[in-house]
Amino acid sequence: MSANAQTLEQLIGHEYKQGFVTDVETDFFPPGLNEGTIRALSAIKKEPEFMLEWRLAAYRHWLTMKSPEWAHVSFPPIDYQAISYYSAPKTQADGPKSLDELDPELLETYKKLGIPLAEQERLAGVAVDAVFDSVSVATTFKEKLAEAGVIFCSFSDAVQEHPDLVRQYLGTVVPYTDNFFAVLNSAVFSDGSFVFIPKGVRCPMELSTYFRINAANTGQFERTLIIAEDDAHVSYLEGCTAPMRDENQLHAAVVELIALDRAEIKYSTVQNWYPGDKEGKGGIYNFVTKRGACRGVRSKISWTQVETGSAITWKYPGCILQGDHSVGEFYSVAVTNNYQQADTGTKMIHIGKNTSSTIISKGISAGHAQNSYRGLVKILKGAENARNYTQCDSLLIGDRCGAHTFPYVVVKQPTARVEHEASTSKISEDQLFFCQQRGLSMEDAVSMIVNGFCKEVFKELPMEFAVEAQALLGISLEGSVG
Amino acid sequence: MLRIENLHVSVEGKPILKGIDLNVKAGEVHAIMGPNGSGKSTLAHVLAGRPGYEVTAGRVWYQGKDLLAMAPEERAREGLFLAFQYPVEIPGVSNIYLLKAALNAIRKHHGLNELDAMDFLATVKDKTRLLDMDEQFLYRAVNEGFSGGEKKRNEILQMAVLEPKLAILDETDSGLDIDALKIVAQGINALRSEKRAFILVTHYQRLLNYIKPDRVHVLAHGSIAKSGDAGLALELEKQGYGWVEQLADAGA
Amino acid sequence: MNTVSQSTARYVADYDSIASQLPGSGLSWLQAMRTRALSQFSASGFPSPREEEWKYTNVAPIERKMFLPRRAIPGSVDIGLLGRYRLPDAFTLVFVDGGFDAGLSNFSGLPDGVVIAPLSEALGRFPELVRSRLGGCIESEPHGFISFNTAMFSDGVLVVLPARTVLERPIQLLHVATQPESLCTVRHLIVAENSAKGEIVESFVGQEDLSYLTASVCEVDIGENAAVTLHKFQAETAKAFHFGGIYVKQAQHGRFEHHNCSFGGLLVRSEIHVGLDQASECLLNGLFLGSGRQHVDNHTRVDHFKPYGISREVYKGILDERARGVFQGRMIVHQDAQKTDSNMTNRNLLLSVDAEIDTKPQLEIYADDVKCGHGVTVGQLEEELVFYLRSRGIDEPSARNMLTFAFANEMVEKIEYESLRSLVLEELISRLPQASAIKEWL
Repeated sequence: MSANAQTLEQLIGHEYKQGFVTDVETDFFPPGLNEGTIRALSAIKKEPEFMLEWRLAAYRHWLTMKSPEWAHVSFPPIDYQAISYYSAPKTQADGPKSLDELDPELLETYKKLGIPLAEQERLAGVAVDAVFDSVSVATTFKEKLAEAGVIFCSFSDAVQEHPDLVRQYLGTVVPYTDNFFAVLNSAVFSDGSFVFIPKGVRCPMELSTYFRINAANTGQFERTLIIAEDDAHVSYLEGCTAPMRDENQLHAAVVELIALDRAEIKYSTVQNWYPGDKEGKGGIYNFVTKRGACRGVRSKISWTQVETGSAITWKYPGCILQGDHSVGEFYSVAVTNNYQQADTGTKMIHIGKNTSSTIISKGISAGHAQNSYRGLVKILKGAENARNYTQCDSLLIGDRCGAHTFPYVVVKQPTARVEHEASTSKISEDQLFFCQQRGLSMEDAVSMIVNGFCKEVFKELPMEFAVEAQALLGISLEGSVG
Repeated sequence: MLRIENLHVSVEGKPILKGIDLNVKAGEVHAIMGPNGSGKSTLAHVLAGRPGYEVTAGRVWYQGKDLLAMAPEERAREGLFLAFQYPVEIPGVSNIYLLKAALNAIRKHHGLNELDAMDFLATVKDKTRLLDMDEQFLYRAVNEGFSGGEKKRNEILQMAVLEPKLAILDETDSGLDIDALKIVAQGINALRSEKRAFILVTHYQRLLNYIKPDRVHVLAHGSIAKSGDAGLALELEKQGYGWVEQLADAGA
Repeated sequence: MNTVSQSTARYVADYDSIASQLPGSGLSWLQAMRTRALSQFSASGFPSPREEEWKYTNVAPIERKMFLPRRAIPGSVDIGLLGRYRLPDAFTLVFVDGGFDAGLSNFSGLPDGVVIAPLSEALGRFPELVRSRLGGCIESEPHGFISFNTAMFSDGVLVVLPARTVLERPIQLLHVATQPESLCTVRHLIVAENSAKGEIVESFVGQEDLSYLTASVCEVDIGENAAVTLHKFQAETAKAFHFGGIYVKQAQHGRFEHHNCSFGGLLVRSEIHVGLDQASECLLNGLFLGSGRQHVDNHTRVDHFKPYGISREVYKGILDERARGVFQGRMIVHQDAQKTDSNMTNRNLLLSVDAEIDTKPQLEIYADDVKCGHGVTVGQLEEELVFYLRSRGIDEPSARNMLTFAFANEMVEKIEYESLRSLVLEELISRLPQASAIKEWL
């Protein structure tokens, strides 16, 4: 899919267009975090006892932890008592969620974001779970999916309707003791998506979740759990936006993927949280833990991410390759402009025999931004014939930004083969001149070259997302040249 | 010297050779021709014992022994030599080390003493001259930074030093300009003898202008579509491979 | 990290009793410098794996022991060992257990103006020169080993190559450990003034199977258009602990070349930090072998501070048995360093199921018009090459050995200084499996 210069031209010059605020009445918790907050949250969600216990265990563990400092990012200390841990549109606080009953304001919001929720307006083949602040407000195509045996619902619904599945898998990939932000999420997560693909089922359509932060002073803590049983197959997409505010807002999500024998999960993200303004004011702190476990033989988990938003991105979607012959993939484009900071990459842990992983990371840094790739490839002793190939390239636009590469390679198995390559360069003057000589404007030329630079990653995205991703790149780089 | 009977070979489960029969006697030169993908190089590699090729049926007799049961180095020591189409580069190992190690391994196998350093050097230098190669080549790492033509010449040099009984040349002519081709052909012709056989694997007839084959076999879709004398190569040049492919299809 | 180990506390406590015997004890500036370093060491102790730069290397085994500063009665030197590692054509300074030994050294016939002097003597002859330079090349916050060395250094060398001097013969600094639990804390200071040129070899060896600690620091100050080649030849005993830090400051158009050959030692950390000015050039080559339970950590840092710098780095490791190798390479291109051209490669072979390699090549880039890259490989020998050799009649184990040797030999061949190259080659072969077969090929 090659970049269409005209489309990009239209897009350059646009501001962050998802930055509006929806005016709905909300139920929310006053800022503050203590055991009472968690009990109240669990009560609102009418959760079974085991969930409350789990949350409380996480919270108690969190109290013993310190915010991590190793990443190549800087931000003032976060006051966790100043955040509200629950905010939901009033009409949604308890009630069924059929589309007819949905607040028209909300419908309008998603329409404006380009995500119409009415099924007849949707492109066939994509089911959506729409998460608004702390709750899921709608899930489309539920019935159609149920016919195929696929469970796709909000996390809250899953806890009510499939408590055994939740109990069996929750926290088995990202335990409640994992890392500072994941632990916080385990204690206070308010909703998210749940997907279960039973044995032998190929999910008949793309599943997607659209996350929207609306309320001020809230944090968004959602949790996604996807289970693909033997021979199951699913492609899942995730998108996110938030209004423009001067304050930084915290988004600390957790995603757990589980692939059993020969199962395949493809997880794609286009992350476009509000990045802050040109002076670096405001924006989302996107501190996310995403991890997949390839538990079964010949299972495969593939992460594709296009990260253009957020003031700070801190995420390392990884794969634990337990099953023999299992495959992990990570394709990433991370764009930072103005004062954005990104420290992102992946972890590939090879445990099973003949496991293989591929990492393709493209970082683009402009303005005053700092963009770091941080990745771990670990080959454990039993991982005979494990293979890894890593390529991370950085592109610099402007002389006040930074691009950094921090790969960690640990190999304990002599038959393993690991290859890592990295390069950093700027857009070549020759390329630019060539494009200009052929009549392209400077910005078109840059967009075209940047899209070419990211092509290897874009081709991994589902079609609609690829278009959106290319469009986003045009916007993100606005004003970075000339 | 070499008898191939109904040889079937698969690579990663995909059948490549589908029943090859071939008989090569000492002193003969056989040319194996065929379009890309016909299985020519596969045949060369299987005979040399390259891992990754699965023989699914057939036998290969070499000097009365079961060739397929032998390790690659055993085949080499028994006098089978493969000149690679794409010779690898081995940084850190000089040509002279390689030649000495290989020659002594082969001599030892035949119960001969190792050559003393002086004799060895004299022999090797003789052969370098024959191939119009600079002596400095000997001290450079194997094929490292060599041009395509230099790599091919280096393969022929190794052949000249190791003096095999059966030499298989895999597309040795490809990528050579006319002068280099002449030198390589000259090197090969110098080695022709009653005791030695050659299998020339080639896409084009041009090498055969300089080395006259006794037999020509045309491979298509994994089997020999047609065999003949040197005239077949010329006819092939005229008619193109489409002609044999038709023959092969008709036969199948 | 307020838990300072017992040994740290003892080094600090015992310091007063040895301070008067350390060179330059009468110089108040040096006293002050040493005291400052001692208090830093007292607070930090030796580095901990909790620090990112020490993530893969735990020096607790060093902390558990107590090494003794130089004793009044030197141990007896094994002349045979010394002869084996002495470079016949170099000016040689021998350091026995960290102390300069005039009897074993020979550096007569120096060209005019060139200074080679043991630091103990240089502090008397050129106190101002040493004062103005000592510590000047260490840019980063000194860690425990550096402050330990500053507080405790027992001797070392001062080399000054005056402007436009080309020193034809290399200088060898040959360190030998002769006593159990001894401490070799040498501090070398090498100054190449503008357009000067010289070559230095640091050799580290030990007698029998002694356990001891080398904690050496070498500073290299390279003037404009000057060129220094520094070799490190490390063949400590199998029970030895080794920290060796090299800190280099390059002026405009300076050239620095380093060849690091690491063979011995139980727990080894080599550090090489280089700061480049405009259009200066640096070449770092490293070869490390590990077997038994050796732990070999190579830590390199290259700072490009100014435009047009060039750096090239290649490190290769071969790990056998239960050995663990570490490569940490940091390449930092600062904001002013436009047009930097830098490349770093690390390749590793694991020969056994119990061997391990941890590698971490980092690029940190704050300038946009640069050409930077790095590559890492870990793995077995190329099967393609193994087959090629087998097809020429060489059996598989020999083919593998030949390729393993070739993998290492590529680094040896980069050493231009001939008598050192043959010494390195000999040491390499003696430490590879099937040493005799490799000798035969040669």
